[in-house]
Amino acid sequence: MTAGRVASAVATMVAVGLLATACSSAGVYKPTPLPGSATAVAASGGGAPATGAAPSTGASPQGTATPAPSGTAVVTANCLPSYAPPAELPPPGQMPPGSTMSRIQSRGRLVAGVSADTLLLGSRNPISGRIEGFDIDLLHAISQAIFGDPDRLELRVITAAQRLPVLEDGSVDIVARNMTITCARWKDIAFSSEYYRSGQKVMVRLGDTTASGGRITGMRDLAGKKVCAPNGSTSMDELRTFPGLQPVGADTHTGCLVLFQQGKVDAITGDDTVLAGLAAQDPYAHVVQAPAFTAEPYGLGIGKGNVDFVRFVNGVLAELRADGRWQKSYNRWLADALGKAPNPPAAVYGRTP
Amino acid sequence: MRALGGLAVVVTLVFGLAAGQAFRAADGALARAAANTDQLVRIQAIQTHVVQADADATNAFLVGGLEPAGQRADYTAAVAAASQLIAEAAQNQPADGRALGALNQALLDYATEIEQARANNRQGLPIGAQYLKDASAHLRSDAVPLLKNLVTANTARVGTEFDNARRASLWLVVFGLLTLLVLVLCLVWLARRTRRLVNVPVAGAALVVLVALVLGTVGLAGISRHVEATRSGVYAATLSTAKARIAAFDAKSNESLTLVARGSGSAFEKAWTSSDAAVRAELARLNANPSPSGQQTLPWAGYEAAHRKIRALDNAGDWDASVALATGTGSGSGNASFASFDTASERQLATLSRQTASGLHEAGGWLPFAGALGVLAGLLAAVLSWWGVSLRLAEYR
Repeated sequence: MTAGRVASAVATMVAVGLLATACSSAGVYKPTPLPGSATAVAASGGGAPATGAAPSTGASPQGTATPAPSGTAVVTANCLPSYAPPAELPPPGQMPPGSTMSRIQSRGRLVAGVSADTLLLGSRNPISGRIEGFDIDLLHAISQAIFGDPDRLELRVITAAQRLPVLEDGSVDIVARNMTITCARWKDIAFSSEYYRSGQKVMVRLGDTTASGGRITGMRDLAGKKVCAPNGSTSMDELRTFPGLQPVGADTHTGCLVLFQQGKVDAITGDDTVLAGLAAQDPYAHVVQAPAFTAEPYGLGIGKGNVDFVRFVNGVLAELRADGRWQKSYNRWLADALGKAPNPPAAVYGRTP
Repeated sequence: MRALGGLAVVVTLVFGLAAGQAFRAADGALARAAANTDQLVRIQAIQTHVVQADADATNAFLVGGLEPAGQRADYTAAVAAASQLIAEAAQNQPADGRALGALNQALLDYATEIEQARANNRQGLPIGAQYLKDASAHLRSDAVPLLKNLVTANTARVGTEFDNARRASLWLVVFGLLTLLVLVLCLVWLARRTRRLVNVPVAGAALVVLVALVLGTVGLAGISRHVEATRSGVYAATLSTAKARIAAFDAKSNESLTLVARGSGSAFEKAWTSSDAAVRAELARLNANPSPSGQQTLPWAGYEAAHRKIRALDNAGDWDASVALATGTGSGSGNASFASFDTASERQLATLSRQTASGLHEAGGWLPFAGALGVLAGLLAAVLSWWGVSLRLAEYR
């Protein structure tokens, strides 16, 4: 009989236990998980800082830093020469058969890689929706020379880092995006003659001072601060040579300005032309008034193999320098920010394919 | 013999409780499935509003600083609706609280960046475009993964409750068979011990248990069939419609971002293609789903045709005409054809989610009553068992 008693006791306990678990667990769920990176991503911001900021920070080669060059003497002199233009440009609409220009002419439009957010050089006018600026004026002139119509342009907006790749894969005919002529870049693409001489400067917050309270006069006063420059630009290369700074990368200079306005970087470095465009958008930004610490000769980028087109473009640039259109364009875009028009940089030729 | 009687009583009482629990569990699971479905629909509505806001913002950006008032109002309404639904959703499912808090933060950041983009756009400053791009990118990197987790978690919860509802009859079957076994053993033992063929009250108890078992199992099987039909029918259709809408708005944003990127937008166009494929897949699933009767195929093809025209123009170098078509509101324009899909799918989603909820609520109306009957059956069987055993016990006194 005890066996029966034990059995009934066990049955009761099992049943009560099951019922209890069934009742208590109903309707209570595990919390919905947060994505692993949610908080980390929220903490970063700006253009592409999630990828840009991390690797470039601390990439500054502390031990091997070279002293900042003074003045604009450090020109990449050997690499300025481009291909000499033809004695006479073919008339618009009559490009020589088989040439790069005739290919562009039969396509009906010149495809150009440009910036849409570099105020004064190449930026989208939010009112008209058109991209305009000093760089874009050059493209209109080239379109005029090929088609007899300044507006046969297809503008493709590219980032600083895309300038070489789009020329190498042939997706654009020409890049007009404040690009510095360098020896390293000549290995992959070709450049027109120099069309503007810019130089690198730095922009800080209005009223910012050095650690000891003094006036900021250059990069050396920014030790320990976060300084932004676009990835894949000569500005970034230069920034990395200064010891003690924390370089931060973004896709474009405008990406840097967003980080600057959000307080995620302390300063932006770049060409005086670009910084003038940024400062024009933010009254609390201040371009440090000191001579540029690099020389940045701007050239139009063209595919390495299209030497005929480089010659043609150099011909167009020579005309612009000679007939005053260069000055006119400069005065329209850059004179307010950078002062009276200088003489256009002299073209240097002598390169042979 | 006394112990045997005790065992029979305990077992039949437990059977009563188990039967009650089976019906109660089925009822609770159905109610929770309905609540979780509501939450899922809510989350998907949040996601829809968020991508809708982004589609408006990116499309208006193409027009420039002077965004159309209608589009602006649409954007504001979408953000307001999303933020209200986040609060509502947090109230309805505490387990979603943390994720919804993070989502609220992401939405706030997004709206802030969009406002900064607007303020700069109004002044004609190019940095406005950068704020817009950042806002869109952050929405996709911060809010979308959160929403994905929320959808996954709530879908899983609905699934769990559907399974619970189907499995509720397990209680009944297991305890019912166990009880029958005990009662039959009891009858056999009594027959041997007392040389009487059948103990009528105990046999009656077994009969009560058997009837309760059969009726309950049949009833719960009916529930299970109903749940299964709802799950693969209107519930699946609700999910498909919601998913189609989310993918559609995402496609629309990506179309605008492709144009904003102006020649460097191939990544966005790729994203458009995968969103388009997602919409088509959900529409195909909807067509193959027989239960939502009277639904018509949603007019997605019209927008697809408009998109193809927009891409063709842009690829041929005519960016301005492409933008005009993408931002226009005339017939055949991107916005007009998209609006007809939006309206039709919104109406369909409302109908389907209402049908799902009412289907689940109605299915189990009789369950609490059945639960009470189950407990009573157990009690009755217990009384009968004890009576049967005590009859025999009396003969020994």
